[in-house]
Amino acid sequence: MDFITEGMYKAFQLIFTLDNEIFSIVLLSLRVSLIAVILASLLGVYLGFLMAVKDYWGKRFSISLVNTLLALPTVVIGLIVYSLISRRGPLGVFGLLYTPSAMIIGQFILAVPIIIALTHSAVQGIDKRVRNTALTLGATETQSAWMVIKEARYAVLAAVITGFGRVIAEVGAAMMLGGNIKESTRVMTTAIALETAKGEFGFAIALGIILLFVAFSINILLHYFQRKRV
Amino acid sequence: MDKLIFKVRDLKKVYDGKIVLNVNNLNFQEGKIYAIVGPNGSGKTTLLNILNLLEKPDEGQIFFYDQEISNKSNSDTLEIRRRMTLVNQDPFLFHSTVYDNVAYGLKIRSIPSKVQKSRIKSALNIVGLSGFKDRKANQLSGGEAQRAVIARALVIEPEVLFLDEPTANIDQKHIDVVERIIKKIKKEIKTTVIFTTHDLSQAYRLADEVISLLDGKISKKVPENILRGEIIEKEDGLKWFKTMGNIKFAIVSEKVGPVYISIDPRDVILSYEQFQSSARNSFFGKITKIIEQNHLVKLEIDIGIPLVVIITRESFFKMNLNLGSKVYLTFKASAVKLY
Repeated sequence: MDFITEGMYKAFQLIFTLDNEIFSIVLLSLRVSLIAVILASLLGVYLGFLMAVKDYWGKRFSISLVNTLLALPTVVIGLIVYSLISRRGPLGVFGLLYTPSAMIIGQFILAVPIIIALTHSAVQGIDKRVRNTALTLGATETQSAWMVIKEARYAVLAAVITGFGRVIAEVGAAMMLGGNIKESTRVMTTAIALETAKGEFGFAIALGIILLFVAFSINILLHYFQRKRV
Repeated sequence: MDKLIFKVRDLKKVYDGKIVLNVNNLNFQEGKIYAIVGPNGSGKTTLLNILNLLEKPDEGQIFFYDQEISNKSNSDTLEIRRRMTLVNQDPFLFHSTVYDNVAYGLKIRSIPSKVQKSRIKSALNIVGLSGFKDRKANQLSGGEAQRAVIARALVIEPEVLFLDEPTANIDQKHIDVVERIIKKIKKEIKTTVIFTTHDLSQAYRLADEVISLLDGKISKKVPENILRGEIIEKEDGLKWFKTMGNIKFAIVSEKVGPVYISIDPRDVILSYEQFQSSARNSFFGKITKIIEQNHLVKLEIDIGIPLVVIITRESFFKMNLNLGSKVYLTFKASAVKLY
């Protein structure tokens, strides 16, 4: 039992002395996941919006496809991206494997279906009169589309935050694509896995507490936006 | 002569194989106020949406100041769409403040914010919502929301303002307010206003011209005696139409519930004595208005509600009718037309 209390003691020491290594890991985690989610939002919100407002051939199929992709295991994403960007793969020339960019690609693929699916349902829930009202007031098609998204803003934000919560907590793709290289691709989740295996509980617990704190903050934010939806 | 702002030629609109609108020739003059009357489903809203370019006709043409506009895409008609606006029957306010709502049409036109401010102020003034600019849209009552959407439409200074049933879903107090706003628009802004209504007396009160639509067609005569009420079924299985003042007409109907009806003023027989007949509707009333029209005479008779009756000049003189004469009105249940 001692190792747990000792670990906790060590963890708080590391957090409150603002340990350099810990915080560079946290910052890298936030940076990778934020970039991945911003890119995923640009594509996901756009596609989710189109899927909600446009009628096109294969609409039902695309909706079920996106919903299926929600269950995509992170190790499978890791496997697919790995095979594409490893030196022998078709994108091998770019030398992306074991770089933060590789992790961003993996997390991007993880987040896109989540953001599409949640944006789709958010926009579908928006009053059909929004578009017509905007058009009668002289909006262009783009301006009226923007107004629909604006009306759905809280739900769309919730979609983005949900995506962020998912990617910052995932470990499979980050490990396989980043390689958990110290000071280069070591993020919170991969570091926790490694340090636990090494028996460095203090370090692992410190990161665990920060990760929990991040997850907790995300949920508070999510709750706030979901309540504002009304 | 005033300029024509809209010309409608051979317009047809079909929904699910049914012709909902079939207008051969209709003109609107610049600066006038038009009321389009007709019962539910007569095509009023469809006509408004087509004129406002929200919907496309299946056949025919619309000209806006001699420019053909009906068969173009939304982006091609942007400039024209921006010269008119429509206020829906069921108005929608964006989820923000009254100010932001009113500002929307100006923002998308990239009007400088200084100009925006003063125009928004005067638009809110016209509809009597000056103190409401920071109010959240969802905190407004139905009548206030209706006024806010009118302000949002007026602020863009449209050349044509379409109002779809502007007084359908609000209480009497706000109906008066909205009617006053329409009169004010006519007096002060000189925008062409085209509005739809169920209320014939409102149409005549506000409009320079009343256009009547029945089953998607322009009808030469405006249906008189349009009444709103409810069909009820009595214990004996007979159906009655009940309207204001607890007045009941025997009718022929399969359905029950709220409806509009009209009674053709030519189908009503006048007499001094009540007589036995197969007609199930008989009322006693007093003549309150007499209008002579060529060989016909139009009478308004108060039976608790005003009813218009048209008789020939010969009958009028033979019966020696005068203002205040008390008469029996008799008409068959089948003379009541349901909508």
